[in-house]
Amino acid sequence: MISFVAVILAFVTAALLLTAAGQNALQSFAGMASTAVGSNFAVGTTLTKAVPRLLPALGVALALRSGLWNIGAEGQIYLGAAAAAAVALFGPPLSFPLGTALALIAAMIVGAAWAAIPGALRAYRGLNEVITTLMMVYVAVQLTNYLIEGPWLVPNSTWPATPLIPFAFKLPPIWPGTLVNGGAILAIVGVAVLAFVVNRTTFGLWLRAIGGNERASEVIGVPLRPMIVAALAASGAFAGLAGGIEVLGVRGRLLEGFSPGYGFEAIAIALLGRLSPLGILGASLLFGALDAGAAGLQVASVGISSAIAPVIEGLAVGYLLAALGLAEIISRRREARSALQSAVRS
Amino acid sequence: MDISAAILLLAATVAFAAPLIFAALGELISEKTGVINIELDGMMLAGAFCGVWAALDSGSLTIGFIGAALGGVLVALAHGLLCFVFRAEQVVSGVVLNILVLGLTTFGIGPIFGADLGRAAPTLQPISLPYLSDLPIVGRALFSQTPTVYLAFLLVPAAWWLINRTTFGLALQAVGEAPAAGLSMGIKVRRLRWFALIACGALAGIGGSQLTLAGLGTFTQNVTAGRGFIALAAVIFGGWRPFGTLLAVLLFTLVEAIQVRAQALGIHLPYQFLVMAPYVVTILALAVFVGRSRPPRALGTND
Repeated sequence: MISFVAVILAFVTAALLLTAAGQNALQSFAGMASTAVGSNFAVGTTLTKAVPRLLPALGVALALRSGLWNIGAEGQIYLGAAAAAAVALFGPPLSFPLGTALALIAAMIVGAAWAAIPGALRAYRGLNEVITTLMMVYVAVQLTNYLIEGPWLVPNSTWPATPLIPFAFKLPPIWPGTLVNGGAILAIVGVAVLAFVVNRTTFGLWLRAIGGNERASEVIGVPLRPMIVAALAASGAFAGLAGGIEVLGVRGRLLEGFSPGYGFEAIAIALLGRLSPLGILGASLLFGALDAGAAGLQVASVGISSAIAPVIEGLAVGYLLAALGLAEIISRRREARSALQSAVRS
Repeated sequence: MDISAAILLLAATVAFAAPLIFAALGELISEKTGVINIELDGMMLAGAFCGVWAALDSGSLTIGFIGAALGGVLVALAHGLLCFVFRAEQVVSGVVLNILVLGLTTFGIGPIFGADLGRAAPTLQPISLPYLSDLPIVGRALFSQTPTVYLAFLLVPAAWWLINRTTFGLALQAVGEAPAAGLSMGIKVRRLRWFALIACGALAGIGGSQLTLAGLGTFTQNVTAGRGFIALAAVIFGGWRPFGTLLAVLLFTLVEAIQVRAQALGIHLPYQFLVMAPYVVTILALAVFVGRSRPPRALGTND
């Protein structure tokens, strides 16, 4: 509810910005709507652009349930993509669906392993995972760039991309006439998995126990250190899967800079969705629609940058943070007042 | 490598260092009080943008730099508002502000600078320091820089003195180590954090404007290209000390200079490994020297 208000405020602010820039805000938004939800193809584009945001956001939320920040989803996405591409390009010639499954599993394993490093550094050496996950983003991106521009480059090409992956490894389209591929189904499964793991498993219970109180959780027998590693690894697996889906379902090859910051947006999405799997689904659909709409904006309003989409995203989460803070301030005042009242009465 | 190549490398190392020194010193002061700014890159970007805007509009470089500082401060104020007033997590606020500032500065290019990208703001010119620039070999490399480069290097001892030799600096550190104890000793925790955060915004903004006003005088999308994160790494690699941070910055910019001149130097290492080097060494340093250098205890907490 509070997220809705924040999103509406963000759109109002964006309308003011567009007006200040000399644009007709309504016309701009109509342009955005046409390429975000205006046709089957537009809806398909929105869904396809929601997937690489949804999965990492689920991972961020999972880690955050145990109080851990995975700021490095962006890097895990890139390495997951690289792993999927490696299996598809250099692996055994498997047929569908075995090859696709293997490539996606490789993506999840590599994403998990990359995130497990800051997990282990946190668990066994006490390093702040905010700093290490963030720093490792740039290492991961450069490693991927090296693979793309170096050993995996299309022979004699200057365009930084690997050759196309074999057809048998691709995630097939599932909605004719649109871009939607099998990754969308995996993303929905991801939503269900997160809900199940967090609420119905011992692992989830332990996660929440650590998130509630680290010391106390250890006292009641939660294996704290392995759990910290596992939580970040699981988080990285979600992000890695997103990277794999981009390669196998969307791009068909590993491409330099294919993620414009999905992993960072994932943090905003996890928050906007208030860490609930369904909330995160909704928030990632919104971000996907904004991304898809940005293309239509440029058609509707000549000379306007599509950058209004990230502006709306940033504003929405900013307003949400402010609204949450305000709600807490108000409730605390109310509590203080009722406490005072009862003190005066007695 | 002959001597002239070495001198060119040295000159580039020093010149590249200025934006990072400003931003890293700002972040250092802020982290000393327990406030982490993941949005440091956003602060630099806002400074780079507003610096060009102000310099173009006024035709004055001085006003350009004031504009740059204000741009960074604006981001700092947003961070403070979200974290101190609305008690948001600093990490979240930082990530979101980065997204927002990158979006806003990209969106603003068209409406503010127009299609005419040829219109450039006035830019800083190098000044050769008398006598020093006549020194053999290193003179022209080190002492023929823009004035802000000299200022950046002078700020390092100033920051050291402020943090370690003044009551004010000790109070700043107390706030970052044990805010509750500081409060009980009569230190105005909230006020000091606001001060450090705003100082960080101003310094990072000026640092960002180095990339535009000491360069081509035009703003391009995402002109900082992640330098805010390198500055963040430098503070950590430097062990949260001013001179350590300076050394970290110089090490990182030496690597950057090598990367830019790799071909001329005949280095065949893939450049991606040079780009990732600052982050790798920072993580390694943290992992190996655990306990020897550590962040302020209250880093990331709001009260």
